Amino acid sequence: MTQSDDNRTIGRVVATEAMPAGPHQFQFWTATDTDLGIGAIVRVDGERDRVVYAVVTDGRSYSDLATPLHDVVAAEGDPAGTSGPTRRTEVRLWTGAVLRQYPEEPLQPVPLAAVRMATKEDVEFALRMDTYMRVEPVGGVPIGLYTGGGMSAPVYLDADFLLGPASAHLNISGVSGLATKTSAVEFFLTSMFQKFPSHKGSIAAVCINVKGPDLCFLDQPGELTDVDREMYRQLEIDPRPFDRVCYYAPFKADGVNLNTLRSHPDLVGSVQPLVWGLREVLDYHEVLLNRDDIDAKSDAFIDFLTDRVVEKEFTDEWGTTHRVCTFSDLERLFRSIFEGLEAAGRSDMWRTHHIATIRKVRNRLLNISTRCKGLVTDDGTVSDLPFGDFEDRSVQVLDVAGMDQLAQDLVFTRVVSKLREHLERRDLGVDHVIVFVDELNKYAPGDGPDTYVRKMLLDISERGRYLGLVLFGAQQFRSQVHRRVVGNAGTTLYGRMDMDELTTPGYQVLSPATKIKLATLPKGELMVRHPHFTQPVFVRFPRPPILPGPIGVQRFPPAKDVDFEDAVVVQLSILDRRILPGRVKELIVDHREEEVRRALLATRRAQPDDVLAFFKAALGTAVARERVGGGGGTTTRLKQVEDPYAS
Amino acid sequence: MTTRSAGHLLKDAILAANGKVAGTSVLTHVPQPLSRPFSSAEALEHESVRAIDVGAAKTSPSGTGFLDGIQRYSVAGRFGLVPVIRGYVAAAVLGRRDESLSVQHHASEEFVAVSIDRLSADQLRQLETTGLPLYDSGGADREHPILDIHLAARVVESRRESVELAVMQSHLRDRPGGWLVVDGSMTSYLRQEDESRILGLIKSHETQFLDGDDLRTALTLPAGYRSSVFARGTDERDKAYTWYLRLWPWDEHDLLHGLVRLERAPTAEAVEQASEISAWMLSERSPLSAPDSRWDRLIYPIRQVESYLRAHVGEWL
Repeated sequence: MTQSDDNRTIGRVVATEAMPAGPHQFQFWTATDTDLGIGAIVRVDGERDRVVYAVVTDGRSYSDLATPLHDVVAAEGDPAGTSGPTRRTEVRLWTGAVLRQYPEEPLQPVPLAAVRMATKEDVEFALRMDTYMRVEPVGGVPIGLYTGGGMSAPVYLDADFLLGPASAHLNISGVSGLATKTSAVEFFLTSMFQKFPSHKGSIAAVCINVKGPDLCFLDQPGELTDVDREMYRQLEIDPRPFDRVCYYAPFKADGVNLNTLRSHPDLVGSVQPLVWGLREVLDYHEVLLNRDDIDAKSDAFIDFLTDRVVEKEFTDEWGTTHRVCTFSDLERLFRSIFEGLEAAGRSDMWRTHHIATIRKVRNRLLNISTRCKGLVTDDGTVSDLPFGDFEDRSVQVLDVAGMDQLAQDLVFTRVVSKLREHLERRDLGVDHVIVFVDELNKYAPGDGPDTYVRKMLLDISERGRYLGLVLFGAQQFRSQVHRRVVGNAGTTLYGRMDMDELTTPGYQVLSPATKIKLATLPKGELMVRHPHFTQPVFVRFPRPPILPGPIGVQRFPPAKDVDFEDAVVVQLSILDRRILPGRVKELIVDHREEEVRRALLATRRAQPDDVLAFFKAALGTAVARERVGGGGGTTTRLKQVEDPYAS
Repeated sequence: MTTRSAGHLLKDAILAANGKVAGTSVLTHVPQPLSRPFSSAEALEHESVRAIDVGAAKTSPSGTGFLDGIQRYSVAGRFGLVPVIRGYVAAAVLGRRDESLSVQHHASEEFVAVSIDRLSADQLRQLETTGLPLYDSGGADREHPILDIHLAARVVESRRESVELAVMQSHLRDRPGGWLVVDGSMTSYLRQEDESRILGLIKSHETQFLDGDDLRTALTLPAGYRSSVFARGTDERDKAYTWYLRLWPWDEHDLLHGLVRLERAPTAEAVEQASEISAWMLSERSPLSAPDSRWDRLIYPIRQVESYLRAHVGEWL
């Protein structure tokens, strides 16, 4: 608390009966030529070693001009007229919001004393960072640099309040393109991975890329300026990209070309296909099926399928034994039911389920593999995240930017649910997982229907900190996100904000000057709210040491889609560059596409030494293709019943 | 038929007889008698006083100083009928550079003024224990509770002039060759070294030096005009060169609105530079000294000196 020589007096606390100094807020004046600005941290040294730390939240300037009319008279009505040989006396009056008082008891009004710029030590004490930075083991993670009065000081967040258990979650708001939300999260993840205290356990991140190439190049180094490097030096962070990143992207509808902007031949090797089958989908059917459409009867039938049929031996009334593992198997089961009922002359009920309900469920379920084509396959092949084998300081990027909203919802819901399951069992592979989700207002809107995704996000927000499941959410408009989701975020960051957004009730605690600063905040600067900070604090952060998405796409242009055969060659060539395209094409020429896809996926998953041999074995023996409509086989004609749910 | 008010009727009458309508200040008290309503003048620049256009406003040289002083006093108590006056005087010079005013010199004094001869030894000893300087206000043969206060007030005024003089000397010593504008007459500053760089700015016109057409010309100057320079005072020791200057139009106001009188030491240079110095003063119309009631004659830097001194008065306010 001692005052160093380098923080000269810059102002003096003033108080009047109409404008008294309180224990939480006070006014002080400075010279007009001052380095002080909104967000600067100052200290006031009172008598008997009382020290008050405060952040500047407002500033006003006025002269001794009693009315504008006097200026008009002096200028003789001519705005261009001379302003006179003497500049009017001007006052710079600032409002300081108290961050901390020493001693903390008894809490008293701010003394009417000299005001000084805060030093590095003052910033640490004012923000209560000493409670976790001045103890062993240290528990802080740098979020950026406070700058003010020609000085900069690292600002640390308390790890216990970031990843739990005391508090958790981080939320960032700001307008697109100017708030640098993604850059801030990338920088902060870098900071977390390097500075998260080892005694607090292992940590991994799952980033869901929902738009463009934002998160597609986390393993590629970006360009930094000298200013950035100096900031990294002060923050004691090594500016290097993530070294353990794995990308997951679904296929496009063709089932072989990956649906990602990270498809350049030099990078696509680190992209794993994200492919799910019936079981992966059925558990989350609530995400995919419209609750207004699926009534209790449909629900009951889906539950019946889930509990009694899927991945079990199931024998129907007509003696056929089914083992439903894929959408194709499910389709066979439905066909068997319809044909059986037709043959038995009973077309209305099957095992207490009405035929209309069965038809509706069939239509909706089988439609999933069509609507989520590329992610969901008919044939049961699965390629998933390494649940159970997550590595410390690893990043899993799910690139779902090219998928439709329904498929994005499914990916998000299932991945987060699986993370939660594994964390509850403590068998994920790491102790903490950060899930980064952009466009939170889309997944957890403040209004609109109560979706499964939103319910799950609420659950993470409220219970995740006990599990180590931490949500890093970003959105343009915080006011449009469910208030329990943003309210449970222990740490909140704000980039450049929209003025309309700032007029909403959630920002009433901010002074008009702070709002103006937020509305004009430059790139690379954020306002931070953290449980230890009694007032919002502005920090600057360096560019992340990562190739920005738009530049990455220029440097690594996505590969063009190729036809099925060439795509298979490309996929296998990633595993073994010596593979001859002609040989691959010979192998697959007589196989159905789903067989080739299954073999390809198995080969990618296994990553064998002899890729071609493994692929050939996985393909199996070629089956002669049947001619459809050739009249060779006999089919039982179904009774012509119009499917009312076919649309 | 509308009935015109008496005010309007009177205005009409004045205008009809080629008079000028004045402002609307309402007075309730008979003013104190003027102590010295008339004095003499000696023509200098012209045989009879003329109105001279001073041209465009010009800024005075950088580093020009502005001097003013204040005085405060109160009756602290009495020994019998004898009043004990506590006085405070202060003076300051603000210098102007790059359009900004800053304090160059400041002096103040707190003291006691009392009729010493009327005090007992014990009373005098008790006053001395305060550590404040004691000044004798004298006294008439007969005690008079009001007159005695008037006499003490003269002491206060005298102390203010002393402090102002000290501040002026300090300023001229530190900034030789620089201009100094003082609030009021420069009588006290005559015969000082560098007196030619001192400009007195007088806002009140209790004493009239001119008469007849000369007076009419001087007091009815249009805005931006000055009168011819003339010498005021008959005693060589008090003689100063002076002229009137109209800062603001007096249409719709009374005769003395915006009228100031400037004084300089009696040198030939004073006559030669009258128009240029008047142009400096015209530039001081901005910024306006409003809301001070004297804004039409009080220039902003002098007002700032007053504000500075008032801010230091503390408990005397």
